[in-house]
Amino acid sequence: MSEQSLLQVKNLSASVEDLPILHDINLEIKPGETHVLMGPNGAGKSTLGYTLMGNPHYKITDGSIIFDGQDLTNEAADKRAKAGMFLSFQNPLEVPGISLGSFIRNAYHEQTGKPVKLLQYKKQLAEAMDLLTMDSEYADRDLNVGFSGGEKKKAEILQLLMLKPKLAILDETDSGLDVDAVRTVSKGIQEYQKQKDGALLIITHSTKILESLHVDYTHVLVKGRIITTGDGRLVDEINENGFEKYVRCEGCSGCDTI
Amino acid sequence: MAENNKTVVDIDRSVYDIKDVENEQDFYRMEDGFTEDIVKKISEEKHDPEWMRQFRLDSLKIYNELEMPDWGPETDGLDMNLISSYVRSKSDMKGKWEDVPEDIKNTFERLGIPEAERESLAGVGAQYDSELVYHNVKDEVANQGVIYTDMESALTGEYADMVHEYFMKLVPPTDHKYAALHGAVWSGGSFVYVPKGVKVDIPLQSYFRLNAAGAGQFEHTLIIVDEGADLHFIEGCSAPKYNVANLHAGCVELFVKKNARLRYSTIENWSKNMYNLNTKRALVEEGARMEWVSGSFGSHTSYLYPMTILKGDHSTMEYTGITFAGKGQNLDTGAKVVHQGKYTSSVISTKSISKSGGIGTYRSSVIINKEAKHAKTSVSCDSLMLDSISRADTIPGMDIRTDDADVGHEAKIGRISDEAVFYLMSRGLSEEDARAMIVSGFANPVSKELPLEYAVEMNNLIKLEMSGG
Amino acid sequence: MDLKMKVNHLPALTYRFLKSNSSEIDVNDLYIENTKTPEPDMIPAAVTVKSDAAKSDVQDVFAKINEKIKAKQTKLPGPNGDTAPFNDGQIVRTGMGIEVDNLMDEMNVPVMIITADEGYKVEEPVHIKYSLKDGECVLGSQVICAKKGSEITIIMEYESEADAKGFLGISTRLLAEEGAKINLVKVQMLSEGFVHFDDIGGACDDKADIETITMQLGAGKTWGGTRVTLLGRKSIFNNHTGYLCRHTQEYDMNYVADQYGQKTESNMVFRGVLLDNAVKTFRGTLDFKTGSAGSVGDEQEDTLLLSPDVVNRTMPVILCGEEDVDGRHGASIGQLGDDTLFYMESRGIDEDAAKKLMIRARMESIARMIPDEALIIRIQQFIRTIL
Repeated sequence: MSEQSLLQVKNLSASVEDLPILHDINLEIKPGETHVLMGPNGAGKSTLGYTLMGNPHYKITDGSIIFDGQDLTNEAADKRAKAGMFLSFQNPLEVPGISLGSFIRNAYHEQTGKPVKLLQYKKQLAEAMDLLTMDSEYADRDLNVGFSGGEKKKAEILQLLMLKPKLAILDETDSGLDVDAVRTVSKGIQEYQKQKDGALLIITHSTKILESLHVDYTHVLVKGRIITTGDGRLVDEINENGFEKYVRCEGCSGCDTI
Repeated sequence: MAENNKTVVDIDRSVYDIKDVENEQDFYRMEDGFTEDIVKKISEEKHDPEWMRQFRLDSLKIYNELEMPDWGPETDGLDMNLISSYVRSKSDMKGKWEDVPEDIKNTFERLGIPEAERESLAGVGAQYDSELVYHNVKDEVANQGVIYTDMESALTGEYADMVHEYFMKLVPPTDHKYAALHGAVWSGGSFVYVPKGVKVDIPLQSYFRLNAAGAGQFEHTLIIVDEGADLHFIEGCSAPKYNVANLHAGCVELFVKKNARLRYSTIENWSKNMYNLNTKRALVEEGARMEWVSGSFGSHTSYLYPMTILKGDHSTMEYTGITFAGKGQNLDTGAKVVHQGKYTSSVISTKSISKSGGIGTYRSSVIINKEAKHAKTSVSCDSLMLDSISRADTIPGMDIRTDDADVGHEAKIGRISDEAVFYLMSRGLSEEDARAMIVSGFANPVSKELPLEYAVEMNNLIKLEMSGG
Repeated sequence: MDLKMKVNHLPALTYRFLKSNSSEIDVNDLYIENTKTPEPDMIPAAVTVKSDAAKSDVQDVFAKINEKIKAKQTKLPGPNGDTAPFNDGQIVRTGMGIEVDNLMDEMNVPVMIITADEGYKVEEPVHIKYSLKDGECVLGSQVICAKKGSEITIIMEYESEADAKGFLGISTRLLAEEGAKINLVKVQMLSEGFVHFDDIGGACDDKADIETITMQLGAGKTWGGTRVTLLGRKSIFNNHTGYLCRHTQEYDMNYVADQYGQKTESNMVFRGVLLDNAVKTFRGTLDFKTGSAGSVGDEQEDTLLLSPDVVNRTMPVILCGEEDVDGRHGASIGQLGDDTLFYMESRGIDEDAAKKLMIRARMESIARMIPDEALIIRIQQFIRTIL
């Protein structure tokens, strides 16, 4: 085991309402690395993201999650966030009465425990919003209320840029976005990596968002198991051939049901 | 179900309205009113055990002490001194239709009961005025150990102790004035016991026919579905129309034991001179499920709110109801639920239609007690107004005593949209048919919960009401 | 004196065991020392204030609209258990009902009549502020009349010394004439030793509009009632209520929109938080009268329960005697959802901080509609202090 590994997932199994979803997942991510998690629909990709982040709906039945030297297997999500983990949601929360700007400030304050220097904060926020081509008035709008799908995704990346975690898990951040928006979002992701040497776990079933990123490792998740791991070239291969060769059961030439 | 909507045949209310002249030598009729003497006489007539005689007299006392509620429809047209508490045919209950007196048999033939029994029911009880005239259960169901009998036999027979243990424990006579009245003069009804683990595949049905003018019907239904058992029970009611008030104050007590399931379906089509002041209640134990399907079409005035007590952890209930209030009707219906156990869940969804001056009121209460952690409830009630001389009121109440509850409530009131009518008319339907079809569609979530022949009957009733019958 | 009043009648009675058909105010040994409404700090142009009007003056204000209301009433039956007759005799129907009128009469409470002149849209709000000392017991009565085509905003703020005890009872009646608009804001930040009631009744003529914003943040026991008669064609009633109850605070409310006119609109939003042993009773009624064709009504209640010991009663009523209407009610009651909490936690905000954030968000979403920055800041401060 390398000492510098940031995230170490060992033999992780998890279930939802007593239904096992993830089986014996092993994953190691080092600082600054970009990992991609691919797999067909229903493979358990989002479940893995939620389980890593500590969603109480998903019960860890076996294994452990070590992050930055700390065992977080049984910790609540806020402890994981404070340790430097971040998850971007597919459907982020809407909160009437709290603006996006004020929400990020709250989260920043909770994570650092330090008072926020308002001027500096505002400047950073403006820069990040500019990078994401978000109108500055969004900072004063209620968190995600009335945001379009693309705006919600950008608001998640904005939080990523402001909160500067050590590891960002991006759950289908590119789904439902047009080409321009994908480009903007991936610009934001690059910026995050540049600033912080942040590690990434990108959950996706398309490859658009990966075009401008250097992918170190690609994992293929099928039926809750990581069945193969490769480098960035695996992305291209899957792009071409799909998942078919991975979803067959061992010793079988494939069946009609898949 | 859509097919049913299309194939609705014109029906004629007269089938419900045929009255049989009850000649004095064939029928015994108690004098009108509710006095101690009358209650004693009923008790004698019915050969009650001593505890039941006392129970009746105690209930009468409670009846006289309690006041009418101040919240519901008016009952001014109901003069209790003009109601006969007990009317029965002098012929005894039979186990074969051939043996039932001709005129009574004809009534049930016209209502299609013997035919339904042959085709789709596991057992049938038929009550005519105050007493059961027919009771039968299919052999294969009886062989599973299922008891389905009239209350009178149950009271003195093999299950006497069980009846004594459960009778009016869930709906005590102190509950309200008409529960007390019921306790005093009850007669007829069914007793069902489904043993542990027994699943009754086809429904049992009781049919209640109130034929005598100015009479009351006070049947008592007691159903115990033991652990892990499963039953569907259907209740049908009708009466011919008279110019004097009739009264129905029945009582239904349902005990759903651990992991059991009971579905209780009712199509109520009392005549429009009926005061229907009925009480239904279910006690649901751990992991058990209670399902109510309730259609209210008849009666002049109704107070009807089946209540479910979710006592056991993980117990659930679902109530699906429809009420159609037409001319001269004031139907106050809905449901009550009390969450006591943890992880209990309730779903109430109702439809209400008001037309031609009818008053339809949806009334409910949802109580979530402090102990009922992780309780979940969802209420949705839709009302449809078909003109502006009618009323549709929605009066739900909720009392939540724990933060660990998930409560959703939705109510809507509206009309048939002109666009929808226009669309259907552009496809060749008459306006009347178009409106009837839309109303049937509105009622569809309820009718699809009913066995097919009842869904058809319900659609017929809607059609009948829509054409102003 | 001892005060015993039956108020906040649910427009249609229901099961007694729900204990929500009405509420009783029962306060002993009350010594009312002040009944005069404090003068506004500034009276904008086109606004007249008459400080000591009598009952007959109030009757005059509402005389014309009352004739019209009478003409509209039909003989068709009301709902089962109709309680409207309990309040017969009010000059204008109010949420709490006639017993508040009777109390004001009995105590000879002078009425402050605030009038906006015909056709004037008054930009600056009229501020009325009650700052109460320990032991003060106060009654007050106001009438706000927006003449034809005018618009007026009244902001009423109730505050007290910290840890003070006392009593404050207010009656505010509103008349919006044709095309007029009244914005009424009430912010209650009394200390928990106070018993408080606030009764509002209003009437709208054609195309008139009444908008109310209420924030109930303090007082140990509060009764609030608002009833608006939408008489005129295309008249509107919008309400936003925010409340925060903790400790053993009790809040009992009754909101009614009586929709008589054609194409009327009512829209009521209630957003609240219950903590500790707080008790809340909410009654909200949309009443579509026969003849109110084309009218719509919507009531939304959203209550956050943050303690296992709270009591939440909700009575969302829709009464309807008209075919051509669209009425809706939605209620969502419960604790912070798992999804909400997980999202917050994933951003490093723990459960306790998430709850506080959500409480503030709810209150903020109502408070920000108040057209007075300084007051919004005072509300934020008040909430911060009590949290």
